[in-house]
Order: sequence, then structure tokens, then C-alpha cells
Amino acid sequence: MYKILFQHYLLKGIRSPGYYKNLIVNIFVGLSALYFLAVFLFLGFMLPKLLEEITPGTDPAVTFHGIMIYGWFALLIIRYLMQPLNRLNLEYYQTLPVKRSVLMNYLILKPLLNPVNYILLCLTIPFAITGIFPAYGTAGALRFIGINIFLIWFNSLLAPLLKRKFHNLLLGATLLLLIGCGLAALEYFKIFSIFALSQRLFGLLTETPFIWIATVTPGLLAFLLNKVYFKQNYYPESFERKRNNRATTQRFTFMERFGKIGELISLEIKLVLRHKRTKSTLYTALLFLFYGLIFYPNPVYNQQPGWLLFVAIFITGTGMLIFGQWIINWDGAHFDFLMTRDIDTHTYIRGNYYLLMALCVSSFIVTTPYFFFGTKIIFYHLAAFLYNAGVNIYVYLFGATFNTKRLELTKGSAMNMQGVGYKNFLVMIPLLVLPVMLVLLFSLFSAAHIALIIIAVLGLVGILFRAPLLRVIDRQFLRRKYALCTGFRKSE
Amino acid sequence: MQDYAQQPDTLSAVPPSLPPRAEATNTITASNLTKKYGGVTVLNIPSLTIRNGESFGLVGNNGAGKTTFFRLILDLIEASTGEIQVDGEQVARRDAWKSKVGSFLDEGFLIDFLTPEEYFAFTARVYQKSEGDLAAFLQSMGDFFNGEILGSGKLIRDLSKGNQKKTGIAAALIGDPQILILDEPFTALDPSSQIRLKRMLNELKTTRNMTMLISSHDLNHVTEVCDRIVVLEKGLVVRDIHTSINTLKELESYFAV
Repeated sequence: MYKILFQHYLLKGIRSPGYYKNLIVNIFVGLSALYFLAVFLFLGFMLPKLLEEITPGTDPAVTFHGIMIYGWFALLIIRYLMQPLNRLNLEYYQTLPVKRSVLMNYLILKPLLNPVNYILLCLTIPFAITGIFPAYGTAGALRFIGINIFLIWFNSLLAPLLKRKFHNLLLGATLLLLIGCGLAALEYFKIFSIFALSQRLFGLLTETPFIWIATVTPGLLAFLLNKVYFKQNYYPESFERKRNNRATTQRFTFMERFGKIGELISLEIKLVLRHKRTKSTLYTALLFLFYGLIFYPNPVYNQQPGWLLFVAIFITGTGMLIFGQWIINWDGAHFDFLMTRDIDTHTYIRGNYYLLMALCVSSFIVTTPYFFFGTKIIFYHLAAFLYNAGVNIYVYLFGATFNTKRLELTKGSAMNMQGVGYKNFLVMIPLLVLPVMLVLLFSLFSAAHIALIIIAVLGLVGILFRAPLLRVIDRQFLRRKYALCTGFRKSE
Repeated sequence: MQDYAQQPDTLSAVPPSLPPRAEATNTITASNLTKKYGGVTVLNIPSLTIRNGESFGLVGNNGAGKTTFFRLILDLIEASTGEIQVDGEQVARRDAWKSKVGSFLDEGFLIDFLTPEEYFAFTARVYQKSEGDLAAFLQSMGDFFNGEILGSGKLIRDLSKGNQKKTGIAAALIGDPQILILDEPFTALDPSSQIRLKRMLNELKTTRNMTMLISSHDLNHVTEVCDRIVVLEKGLVVRDIHTSINTLKELESYFAV
């Protein structure tokens, strides 16, 4: 029975409708996964050297043992935030004569089969070779790898349990972070050193034969706790715990004065606020606003016009760059409705235009504190803002008519690529690459400011000629309307 | 405004066999209408006219082309050949018809992340109805809603299928449409709601002379509501009946296997 269940699990992954259709995106995701894999492998091999540099005179293996508890704890928090919960979509199996305990075990153990959860081994195995082997020998290195696998099991089993127990992610994460900070504070004020404890504990485990096997017990314990939890919450209704908070009717009276366009914009605002995926993207967008803090103070980047413009376009257009790729597309689920109501095409397109414009303006305003990094930044931001509002905005609207895949907004996870096609990446070219190329070209003759002026003028022209440009988009939308309708009607 | 300016061109392209424009009583006309998917014709209607105030029932087995016909009228798909006109104006890629037509086909016509109140308010404002109009409208729907829609504190996506359908049908009526298009409005409704809906449709017909296009798998309901019933089979009109006492029998014998 387990074999069949896990077989279905595999098939579900392979046969999901987006899998083949989305080949290019999958390749992209695969390539970035390979990149991280390579980085981890490299880091693993180089880690002994790095640790030597940080703590000279100490054996890297000892230092690593010292940070293992912290590492474990940090990974637990990440997992708690990112690991998707296994939904109990077992109704079909529940009605078949299959033992409950089999289904429960399957649900609990499923994460252990996901190769993604073992990615950390790409770091620890090379380290076992370069760092542990010289100090503890082959047996020690093998024991070290074993301990790491057991810890991964522990984490993969504990994180979902925590997630189920503490529904409120924000509260749970804050709590975990506070515990982490508390431990770090104890360390810092030399009251109690987790570092030393971790050093002694894992040093002992790696060193001595047989005792290391005991590290499997936390994992086992987590498994048993999971079982207890599932026993109490076997039925989906108690399990999925429908949020009972009453939906409240909201009105954006401010928007009402803008007529149908205002209505459309407030509809999109509600759409963002009431779907998991858009909400988590909104938080990501807020994080991206801080992107400039990495680049602007750094002399390596802040002398290079190419980088500066890239970052400026990115952060002054954060809202648009992130939500722009979903524009029109995110109306997929109710597209037929919008197309049959008394909303003419021109109004619909202008609603989307003003929404993007509002995102653009607000991102620009929010990023004005960056002006403290110097007058240069002001010019870059102004040029980037004008370019976003006068050029990129049309590229998004035009590009949106090609994306006929319906966006599923209810399923939200950190790395959700559903409904994202290669066209989304194609759009990036005029958006970011062209202006950056222009600036690079002019900066060869140390005339980056001329490039900035050109970019700003392009943007201004785009804003001034918005009426004819929007009519072009109207016509394009009408050309693509039926393809959009048909595409959106197919849910994945 | 643009649409009116372009009208003469489109009319000159119309084949001469069509009735002249003066016949304003023809609310919906389809001419030479076909829809093909990958070489297979799923709908083929050489000529069909639905008159003002007519209640038009569409029946047929799955895949007969009912929904396809409705989607063509609502300009959600593109006809392979031919065209549809509402009040003498082409619908394809135009907007003028939208203010006259109310419709509910499927969940794609709901905005599932809104509460029913927000959804009605949005629709009302799109049709430029005042708050008072909306309140009066919702009050008139009180019977049909049976107290399950308004003030439920639920988003539309959390409503039951039947209540979602009621919500959608009500929203189709907010704009005071001259033409109402409903795809299988009776399925998923509980018996009382089915009866209420029938009563409501008959009332709209007599008091407002509303043109109605209703598809249904339930022959009883459709014969009770509609004056004219068209049977589609594999995309072709095979029967066009003026409803009488014998209609139900006729339909039943037609569909009997």
C-alpha cells in the first residue's frame, strides 16, 4: 500500500498539467537549482578554509560542531516558513479500505521523500570530506553524514507539526526568532554557551562509534508526536480548520469618485488583499524595497552607472515589476464576468494602466529616503521612475495580452511558478536590459548623464502620449481577447 | 461613440438575405454563424432570430453547442464565420451591447473573492446604478435569496454551489437588462429556489417584456418558462417549437432513447 501511495505521489508531480507545458520555466527553475547546488558543493569544499580564517588556530571540524545547533535552529525556522503543508487531500483514499495508520504514516513521512529537503547534504558531504575526514577519519566522516541526515529528518518532521500547531505563521516565526535571539544573547553575555554545548555534543557524537545513532531519537520523537496529532485530528474538517472569521464588506469610498476605473482599481486591491499568493508577493515586494541598501552604500557598485540604473529601475518600480507581470492575467478567474459587464475595453485597459501607475508612483515615493545616499541617486531614481511610468508600463500592458495562462491565486507558496511563462522573462529584456545597456554604452565615453537624460525623455514622451499609446493597447487587447478568454477558462 | 461611426461599414458586409435594419423588434439575430474547433464544427446556425420580449429556451444534450452559442452572443469566443447582432449592432469586439445584456453562464461570471454585497455593489456601479437603486433591487431579491446570501459574512468562494448560482443570477439582473442570458439556471438550486426562480422569470417577462435566453437540461422547467424552444443537436438546430401543451411530450419523445 505504501508503495502505491508513494507512486501516486510521484505521478502527481510528473503529471501535473503545468509540468510539460511549462517546460521553459521548469528549465529555468532547474538551472537555478543547479546553480544553488553548485554553490553549496563549492561552499562545502571551501568551508574548512573559511572557518580557519574566521577562527584561526581552531580545527574547522570543531568550529562547525559549535555552530551546528544554531544552524539546525535557523533551518527549522526557514522550514517552518517555507515548507508547504501536506494537505489531507486523501478523501479518495479515506473511503477505500485502507488502514488509517497507513494513511497517517504516509502523510507524515512524505516530506522525507522529497529530494529538495536533502539539499543541505550538498554542503555537509563535501565538508565531511575536507573538514571532518582529516580530524576524525573515514568512520567519523560517515558518522557525521549520518548525524546530518537524522537532523534533516528531525527538522522535516518537526516543522510541519509546528506549522499545524501554530497556525499564525507570523506569530510562530516571531516566537522562534525570539528564542533564537535569547539563546544568542545568553551566548553573547557569556551566561550560557550553546556554542560550547554544541561543540561538545556533536564532537562526541562524531567521535564515538554507536552513540551517534541516538541522534535518530529526536526524529522518532517528532514522528510519534505527529502521529498523536493526526490521531486527534484525523478528519479533514478538524484538520483544515476553516477560518471562521467573517468576511467583512469593504468599501474604498476614496476610489468611488473615479467612476468605473476607480471601481476596477479597488477590485484589484481587494484581489491582492484576499489571496494568499498575492499577499505573500506583497510582502516580498516590501522586502525588495530594501534592495538598494545592498548596493548604494557599496563603493563597488555605486561607482558603476549600469548597476546604479539597474537598481534604480528595480526599486522605484518594485510594485509594478512584481505585480505588472500578473496584470490582466490575475483577472482570469472572473474574466468572463468583466468582459460581459458594461465595461468597455478602453475603460478596462485604463483601469489597469492607472493601477500600474499608482504602483509606480507609490514605489517611487516610498524609495525617496534613498536620496540620502547622494544627489546622484536622485537623478538615477527620477530617470528610472520616468522610464518605468512612461515605457515599462506599456510593455507590461502589451505583454499581458500574450499570457493566456490562468493564474491560480489561492495556492500560495514561496516559490510558486504557476501561470508564469517564458514570456514573463522576455518582457524583462526591454524593461531592464535596454536602459542598462544604454547607460553602459554612454558611460564608456564617461557620459552616463546623457544616457539618463535620454531615458528620462523617453519616459516623459511615453507619459505625454499616453492616449494614443493606450489606444494601441486597446486594439492589441481586442485582437487577443478571445485567446485570453479561452485560456483563462482552463484552470490547471 | 466609435462603434456607431463604424456601423455602416459592417452592415454593408452583411449578406443581402438578412432582414433589413428597420426591423427593430429583432433583438438578436445570428446569420451564417459557425464555430469550429480544430476542423470540427460545433455550432452551425445559418439564420436565427430572437424577437424582442421572446423567452427563448435552448435544450440539447451535452456538447450540442448551447454554451457555445451563448458565449458567441456574449462575445467571449470568436465565430469562425458569420456574426451575431444585438439590436442591429454587431457584438464581436464591440462594447455597446454590454449595457443591454445581463448574463450568467458559470463561475467565471462570479468574482469569488468578494462578499456578495461587494459583488452586487461593484456590478451596480459598473451599470451606473445609484445606491438607492441597488438597495431597492436587493430588497426585491429578498424572496429569491431566502436570507442566505446577504449578510452571511462569507466570500462568494465559500458559498454553496446553489447560493453561488443565486448570486450570479441576481447580478445578471442588476443592470436592468433588456436581454437576459442564463445557462442552466435551475441546476444546483434547491426545489423551492427553482420554483421561485421560475416565478421571478415569468414576472420579468410579463412586467418588463424582457427577452430571455435560457438553456436547461430540465425539460419541465424550460417548457414552463419559455414561449419558444429550440433543440440543438451536434451544433445544428433540429427543432424550433412554439411552446404549447404538447411541447413537453414532443421534447420527451425526441430525447427518449
